[in-house]
Parts: sequence; structure tokens; C-alpha cells
Amino acid sequence: MKKVITSILVATVLALILSSPAFGEESESITITMTGVSEISISLDKTQWQLGEVATDTEHTTNPAIEWCTLEVIGNSAVKIFIVGEDARWYEDEVGKNYYWTLSDDGTNGENVYGLLFRIAGDTARGYVPITKTQGEFWPYSDHPPLEPGQYKQFGLKLITPTYFIGNREMRTQITISAVAA
Amino acid sequence: MIRHIKLAGLIAALLTILLPSVTLAEDLIFSVSPSEISIDNLPPGDAAEFELTIYNKDEIAHNFTLTIFQPPEEERREGKTEFPEDSWISLSPQELEVAANAEAEITAMVAIPRDQEWTGKDWETWLGVAAASSDLLTVKLYVRLLVSTPSAVETRSNAPLVAGIIVGIVLLGYGGYYYFRRKAKSE
Repeated sequence: MKKVITSILVATVLALILSSPAFGEESESITITMTGVSEISISLDKTQWQLGEVATDTEHTTNPAIEWCTLEVIGNSAVKIFIVGEDARWYEDEVGKNYYWTLSDDGTNGENVYGLLFRIAGDTARGYVPITKTQGEFWPYSDHPPLEPGQYKQFGLKLITPTYFIGNREMRTQITISAVAA
Repeated sequence: MIRHIKLAGLIAALLTILLPSVTLAEDLIFSVSPSEISIDNLPPGDAAEFELTIYNKDEIAHNFTLTIFQPPEEERREGKTEFPEDSWISLSPQELEVAANAEAEITAMVAIPRDQEWTGKDWETWLGVAAASSDLLTVKLYVRLLVSTPSAVETRSNAPLVAGIIVGIVLLGYGGYYYFRRKAKSE
């Protein structure tokens, strides 16, 4: 009788031992890691640019040209900054699609095509950089380090009006400056 | 000469626009926490939930929208690949109003379909938070979302389990047979 009980116990223990890796795999935990108490944030000290009336095929720069707006990192994460533009749309057109200026992809202008560029103060290597409809790098570029908390960059904008456009229409556009943890 | 100037002025007036109108500086400052989330060992067929916090540091309420953005390869963390499907991520709510000097939480869930194809992966995608604005310049903040899945979970887990059960049944059967045989003999 003892042998029988012993053999059953051995069999049970053996079965449990052999199947334990499987149970171990099943219970492998999902780990969610949130990087410390990291907080991402940037500030811009200007968000609007009053251009007023403009003529065709003319360049307009912010004043001051390259120290117009200050972007500062105010979170506690070092960041990479990106910039993206969009087509300028006729504000009074409710649908917003009937009349627009296409944003060029190289900073030049054309018929109903406008150019938009930015320049960061102290950035002599790149000078004016086109803002396009594809998100592009603002800072850093090349081997420059990302912006640390408390650091800032000053920049200005340049707009080149289309060589032809329909006048007396209020056009509006938007530039999105984005940040991600470096 | 005067006529020429007038004509030039008229042409300029006809060809002019306003871009944009009124200027009033707005200090819209907000932040998002955390800036990076890493979900490790999320098995296909399973889901993980986490929360993002938006802090509105302005003196007035603002509306925020959340989006999913696939970053270009050069901006992803080393070894990470493109997240295959945006619909696997749900953000609730996707639009919300945050009161002045207040914070609000967004619940995000990542659910990977049960398919061997999605084992052993290392993905990255970005969750974008932007405040609604009609200004020329607007800010968007991205949260890096890193997701990895375990390699060949089902294959490794099922084989030893099945083997263990078979061996157990055989041994128990043998024990039972031996016991009843002994009992029958003794009677």
C-alpha cells in the first residue's frame, strides 16, 4: 500500500515539475515602464504674426528676422524639436478647400504656391530652412545635441508670397512645432 | 506720375490679402507626462493599459486632441520598428477640455491581435497631444510609446505542459493499475 501511495505521489510531483516551465511561461508578466516622472513641455513666446496686406512675389520676414520667437524647454526632459507647415486657406471660405495656396516643398513660390522658411539665431550652417508639409527637423540637426530643460532657441520666419494669387482674400495657415523626448 | 502711383496702389490693393489678422500674444503652456512609455512582453492576444496626464498651465481652459503618429525610422529608438497598426491603440478620450491650471488623464490601451506573426517584435510609435488653436504657431507634444512582444510564446508554453500531463497520466495510470491488482490478489 505504501508503495502505491509513494508511486502516486512521485507521479504527481513529476508531472508538476515537468509542467512547471509551461506555467512559468504563461504567467510571464507584462512590464509597463513609465520613464520616471518625466514631463515634456516647450513654450513659445509668440504664436501670431501680423502680415497685413501683401503683394504677389514678395518676401516678408519677421521683425526681428531671426530672434523673433523664443522656444524654451520647460519640462524636465531633453527634447528634439520638429516643424511642419500646411497649405494656407481662404479664411472666409467655410469649406476651406475652394481656394488655397499650396505650401511649396523647397521654400520657393509659384502660382498660388507660397514658400515658408525658418531660421534659428546662430545657425549659420543651414541659414533659412524650408518649412514643408512633411515634419522636418528644427533642432537638433547634424551632430548637435538635443535641447535640455531650461535651454532655448530663438528663430524667425520668412514668407514668400505666390507669383499669382486672387486678391482681397484673408488667408490663414498654421505651423506646428512639436517636441519628443530625446 | 501721380497716375502711375495711383495705378500701382490700386493693383497692390487688388492683389493684397491679410495674413493673419489680430495679434495678441497668448501664453499657452501645457505639458504631458510621462514623456516615454515602454511596454515589455505584451503577448499577442493580450492588452495593456496606461494613463497619460495633460497639465494645462494656462489661465483659461483649452481643448486638446490626441493623435497617433508614425515617426520616421531615423527618429525611432535603436532597434525599434514601425508600429504595424494604429487601430491597435485606443485613446480615451481623444478630445477633451482641460480647465485652467488643471490636469486631466487620458486612458490608453494597446491590444495586439493573437497571431504568431506578432511575436518577438520591438515597435515604436508616438502619441501626439495638441491644444486647439487658430494661431499661426502651435505646439504639439509627443509621447514615445515602445512596445515589445515575447518571442514564440505559445510554442514554448504548450510543449512542456502537454508532455508533463502525458507523463503524469501514464504514471498515475500505472499506480492505479498496480494498486487494484494488489488489492484483487489480496482478496
